[in-house]
Amino acid sequence: MRRLLPLLALSTCLLAPAAFADGPSTRVSHVWIRQAPPGVDVMAGYFTLENLTARPLDLTGVISPDFGSVMMHQSVVKDGQESMVEVPKITLPAHGSVEFKPGGYHLMLMDPKKNLYAGDMVSLTLTFSDGSQLAILAYVRRDAPTG
Amino acid sequence: MKWKAFLPYAGLMFMALAVGVLASYLTFGSRPVERPHTDALLLHEARPLPDFSLTDTGGGAFTRAQLMGHWSLLYFGYTHCPDACPTTLAALDRMMRLLDKLPAARRPHVYFISVDPKRDDPKLLKTYAAYFNPGFIGLTGPLPNLKALTGPLGADFSYGKPDKKGDYAVIHSTMVVLVDPEAAETALFTPPLDPKRMAADYANIVRYYGEQQS
Repeated sequence: MRRLLPLLALSTCLLAPAAFADGPSTRVSHVWIRQAPPGVDVMAGYFTLENLTARPLDLTGVISPDFGSVMMHQSVVKDGQESMVEVPKITLPAHGSVEFKPGGYHLMLMDPKKNLYAGDMVSLTLTFSDGSQLAILAYVRRDAPTG
Repeated sequence: MKWKAFLPYAGLMFMALAVGVLASYLTFGSRPVERPHTDALLLHEARPLPDFSLTDTGGGAFTRAQLMGHWSLLYFGYTHCPDACPTTLAALDRMMRLLDKLPAARRPHVYFISVDPKRDDPKLLKTYAAYFNPGFIGLTGPLPNLKALTGPLGADFSYGKPDKKGDYAVIHSTMVVLVDPEAAETALFTPPLDPKRMAADYANIVRYYGEQQS
């Protein structure tokens, strides 16, 4: 089953944009999930999301079968104090992109179904305001990719 | 000849001028070594830390006295923090690896101070800190004891509303505080944290401190 996952995800990727005659509306890159230290059951996910269309598009939700719940969060610094704010939707400008990165937007992935270690793969499904979905696979990593 | 009567005065004036020039030369000569240019906010004057009493992960007391005699980096966070804390601790680990060449005595001790003592028991704190770097030290303590340290440092913290499951976020400081071997706050690193820049700043500040002492 594990080996089939990438195939499944790939087929979802291929199927999702099939609803649109003019190709996929979004593209994702720089995907990674930070491995949680022992005893911690919350992880952060990061990626860059591009809107390939000429209209603004909202990212309205993310789900994952590998976690109990997934939320979109933003780390906000005010007067040197960091807090996290839940974000119900994130608008991608027309032909623009939004980065989920440390210290900014991130996925808050809670209650993993099993222990996840560097190299493990997690599947995520992103939902957009135009009804389209994007299935992606994310590797768990110990630290941010460099370069 | 009248002008000869002025000669002694002229001589005195010349001597005064010479003394002045020499004095200013000496002043400049003994001027403290130049402050390094750093990304880190280097305080004009180091501020002694207040007295405090925290608990280390072995259950022992950890006070200001334990910060004497070596450099320290303090970071305040909590283990249920998915974004800021792991990002900072990973940056500190990279910084420490860049400082490997320094003699052990000049390398900083890194303290992760949990401001969430309710959830962060010593056992969890120990494995958490060591996960990022085996040398990192976890500390925490009762709220008033934590506030005694965070207040004067401007590293205040508070708690977000708990969700249905009772989970809550902690609003905490983003800075990493550099403390000198006399337990005085010396510099602040603020995000975005660049390990290379931090290591260079640290080395420069330590060198500057050493030159001032000698």
